[in-house]
Amino acid sequence: MHGQSFAYQRPGSLREFEALYASHGDNAKILAGGTDLLVLIKERLLAPRLLLDISDLPELKGIAYDPAAGLTIGAGVKVAEIERSALVKEHAPALAFAASNLGSNQVRWMATMAGNVCHASPAAETPPVLLAHGCELLIGSQAGERRLPIAEFFLAYRKTALKPGEYLKGFRLPPLAADAAVAYRLRGLRRAMEIDMINLGVYLRLEADGATAAEVRLAMGSVGPISYRAAATEEKLKGMTVDEAFLAAAAAGVAAEAAPIDDVRASADYRNRVVGVLARRGLTHCLEQIGSRRNKA
Amino acid sequence: MAKREFDVIGSTVTRKDAPKKVKGEHEFADDLQFPMMLHGRIKRSDIAHSRILSIDTSKAQALPGVKAVLIGSETPIKYGIVPQMPTEYAIAHEKVRFHGEPVAAVAAVDPETAERALDLIEVVYEPLPVYTTPEEAMAEGAVKIHEDNKFPGNIAYEADQDFGDVEKAFADSHYVLEKTFKTSYVNHAFMEPHCAVSKFDTNGELFIWSTTQVPHYLHRHLSKVLQMEMDRIHVKVTGVGGAFGGKGEVSNNELISALLARKAGRPVKVLYSRREVFLQHRGRHPIQMRVKVGVDKEGMITAIDYDGTMDGGSYGGWGLVILFYTAAMLHLPYDVKNVRFRARRIFTNKPTCGAMRGLGGVQPRFALESLLDQIAIDLGMNPYDLKKKNAIGLKHETVSGQVVRHCEFRKCLDQATELSGYREKHGKLPFGKGIGLAGGYYISGTAYTLYMAYKPHSSALIRVDTEGGVTVYCGATDIGQGSDTVLGMMAAEKFGLPFETIHVVSGDTSLAPFDLGSFASRVTVAAGSAVCKAADNIIDKLLPVAAVQLGVRAEQLEAKRGMIRSVFEPGKEIAFWDVVSKYIDAHGPLTATGDYTPPRRTGKFKGANIGHSPTYGFSAQVTEVDVDLETGEVRVLRVTEAGDCGQPINPVSVEGQVEGSIMMGLGQALYEEVKVGRDGRLMNPSLHDYKIPTMADLPELNTTFVESYDPDSPYGAKEAGEGPIQPVIPAIFNAVYDAIGVRFTEMPITPERVLRALDEKKRQEGGTC
Ligand SMILES: Cc1cc2nc3c(=O)[nH]c(=O)nc-3n(C[C@H](O)[C@H](O)[C@H](O)COP(=O)(O)OP(=O)(O)OC[C@H]3O[C@@H](n4cnc5c(N)ncnc54)[C@H](O)[C@@H]3O)c2cc1C
Repeated sequence: MHGQSFAYQRPGSLREFEALYASHGDNAKILAGGTDLLVLIKERLLAPRLLLDISDLPELKGIAYDPAAGLTIGAGVKVAEIERSALVKEHAPALAFAASNLGSNQVRWMATMAGNVCHASPAAETPPVLLAHGCELLIGSQAGERRLPIAEFFLAYRKTALKPGEYLKGFRLPPLAADAAVAYRLRGLRRAMEIDMINLGVYLRLEADGATAAEVRLAMGSVGPISYRAAATEEKLKGMTVDEAFLAAAAAGVAAEAAPIDDVRASADYRNRVVGVLARRGLTHCLEQIGSRRNKA
Repeated sequence: MAKREFDVIGSTVTRKDAPKKVKGEHEFADDLQFPMMLHGRIKRSDIAHSRILSIDTSKAQALPGVKAVLIGSETPIKYGIVPQMPTEYAIAHEKVRFHGEPVAAVAAVDPETAERALDLIEVVYEPLPVYTTPEEAMAEGAVKIHEDNKFPGNIAYEADQDFGDVEKAFADSHYVLEKTFKTSYVNHAFMEPHCAVSKFDTNGELFIWSTTQVPHYLHRHLSKVLQMEMDRIHVKVTGVGGAFGGKGEVSNNELISALLARKAGRPVKVLYSRREVFLQHRGRHPIQMRVKVGVDKEGMITAIDYDGTMDGGSYGGWGLVILFYTAAMLHLPYDVKNVRFRARRIFTNKPTCGAMRGLGGVQPRFALESLLDQIAIDLGMNPYDLKKKNAIGLKHETVSGQVVRHCEFRKCLDQATELSGYREKHGKLPFGKGIGLAGGYYISGTAYTLYMAYKPHSSALIRVDTEGGVTVYCGATDIGQGSDTVLGMMAAEKFGLPFETIHVVSGDTSLAPFDLGSFASRVTVAAGSAVCKAADNIIDKLLPVAAVQLGVRAEQLEAKRGMIRSVFEPGKEIAFWDVVSKYIDAHGPLTATGDYTPPRRTGKFKGANIGHSPTYGFSAQVTEVDVDLETGEVRVLRVTEAGDCGQPINPVSVEGQVEGSIMMGLGQALYEEVKVGRDGRLMNPSLHDYKIPTMADLPELNTTFVESYDPDSPYGAKEAGEGPIQPVIPAIFNAVYDAIGVRFTEMPITPERVLRALDEKKRQEGGTC
């Protein structure tokens, strides 16, 4: 299948890109890795007039860490770079793990995390971990820059909070406290090249006593029209002692807050059941991480 | 068995196509370009069952860049791989029988224009009821999918066979177990989509390059459908990026490319998209099988009763042959005296099922190996003991008259179980972990051609030339399985020359002598025999020349390591190429032919021709699994295979066949399923949504061979490409039973099915555990 023809431009600087994007409005689409966009065009689900290729813009490259600001990742960074980055492995290992589960090696060397997030598929690999991290998005436009918690980014199925002329510039993951950890769990039918049947990011921070949950985030994918956090469950778990009852409450809570449907990949029943298993396993993994860090200290 | 000393056979030479494939140099059909070449695209129905009332192509024809438009009424000649029962048209004629069937085709200057033209073709349909299951198609009052079908209820074909006295045998049995099994609708998922390029020269001769397993059958079909003499058609097989049976019959794109090329007067390429590969299909038949097995007190099999309903999809294809293969497959690799077979193949409004690796074997093997496993467990026996007891010996004749001239199946069972520790582990692993055993076998070629013919099934011509070197010409088709390598290795061994120096010209109906094609695991034995015979005939010409030079009797000479030498006196030798040179000086060109005809065996019952093979390959597999009790995931951890493929000609090639078979079977057991909507539309016709296993799913594989040599085969070899898939699925299912005590009888074992089954088990056990 061939899509409609389109014009293609590769701006040489961010400023040039912002101007072009502002002037072309709805007719233009941002092209990053193209691994989602070109599929839609070829299947004739989209017919943009102009593609603005941002994949080589130097201003959008780079991964950096600052103890105060945390981890920043540019929108132009490839998923494969995130997967391999020593900084990401150290400060957000669950994100490196999620990145390693996106598509194939070939896809990962083309794809960007920004594309993954902006495509806003509810089954996408990286949003649950980013939600768990409490990630902040840097949103750019010709008018300037704004920041938005990722939890406010996904509005509806494949709909984001980006306004006309706005684009995603980068990600900021706040530094993880010593007694906090993030985990990612997913289920596909096979072990690679999967659009997940279900996935889940977990954040757990313990009180100084090492036995009480200070803060919990549970972000689920493929159980509704967007990736989202199980807010009521998070609230309920806060202050609980992290024991079997805590894990059971987490599992039951996410299952109750999940609103999956039956589709070709899995039934709603299966998703409801397994989302709890993933929550339990994710939290257990967080506890292990925190525990081993405490032991070392 | 005496140790045999070979220089080339049994060594792992580098395939000549391997470096070329790695570098992207190997030529596939889609790599071909010709001046003025057009691109053909196919308009496909968006309705699964209907009469075609009218087709208006005028707008498409008027589109600039469009050079030819073709519809079914221009090609009304029916064909089919089984020539007595043709059912198909190059383009649907008068009726559409599945969603996505070709209804028109366009050749244009580029693919985009051709695709745009397809949108301009208007088809008016008169819808008919759509049947996506055999039950619906067989129901009282169902419309006939093929109006001229002589059977009622959309039965494409039905058959029964009876051997011995099954009722009496069951009555006398100590234990009888019956279950109903269901296999799924799966596709081969080979990497390279179908592609053909056709070109007519000014003299009206047709040249077609295609990715096919069966150039000979393509040749015959083109002659029939295009109404041309066969000698005016030249079929050339390009590189083949996998086939597994899916390119084992003529595909619409081949006929359409030729018809469009003739109409447009320019070369035409027709390349399929992945969706079209799924529509061409010819994948494995889903079969619902009710199977009953009886045993005596010792666990010896007394009788097998099989009743199978095959979902054939919309056309005939290989279906009739496969139906009878399911019958033949009941008789081996265990000794069975009483067998009853009842089966039918049903037309439904879906892409046609056909030949897929191990055809006819995989489904009954799944049922039988599952039942034997369960019977052993129910009798308190280790499944290995039961299978070993019933396994046939070195030579065997089945009650249906299939003659096994060489079998090392018992060694396979021993070796696979010893290497894996099966006997110690089975029944003793913790809940959730399991180990399963299954055996299997397959034919190494068939006894008959699909049409009445007495000619040899394979033939070869070898030319040995002082300038051109050694060239083996053989119509066999290398579809990636490495047959060119195997044939070259055999010639190299015969002549005592390095493999690298042998040229093989194959897969070309004009250049190479006749061969039936690559299917039924026939090539190594059949084409290998023809090549060996041709090589022997060359040597018979050379030895007398060398004998005179050396002053030694010809029968005391052998060709070895570049020399023709005395077998008794070291040093009495002359260079092979010196002898060739003297032969040519004295006698002219040095060529010889060889051919192979399998033993013709039959019987006095319907389908008796099918199942006979010159020789058979055997294997046993032990599979270990880990079942995630909370998510239902089944992870295959390890597979230990012990195979009897006779002498492995190229061991790494055999390992490749075995490992590929395991992955293919694993996919079918756990993931794969073409999903069909109520309206007959395919729901997942892409490799994105149709899940074949990936490298991440690869278990640890321990592929071994048992000591084996079939003295009547070329260099002792037997099949290795279709036998190894037979045990894969039941070994996984048996391992899952060992892990969680659930006997699955339907594929694939999805996580959802596992969780449901565990729930059910818990309920039955009264909520404990
Ligand atoms: C074979 C295959 C396997 C895949 N497997 C997976 C998988 O396992 N998991 C998964 O989650 N996804 C998977 N995908 C989907 C896809 O690869 C990812 O979503 C990828 O991250 C998209 O990134 P991209 O850079 O290619 O985005 P593009 O396709 O270039 O863009 C996607 C969308 O985001 C917009 N966009 C891109 N960058 C920006 C920006 N900076 N600001 C604003 N808008 C932007 C584009 O305009 C477009 O609408 C797979 C795709 C393929 C082809």
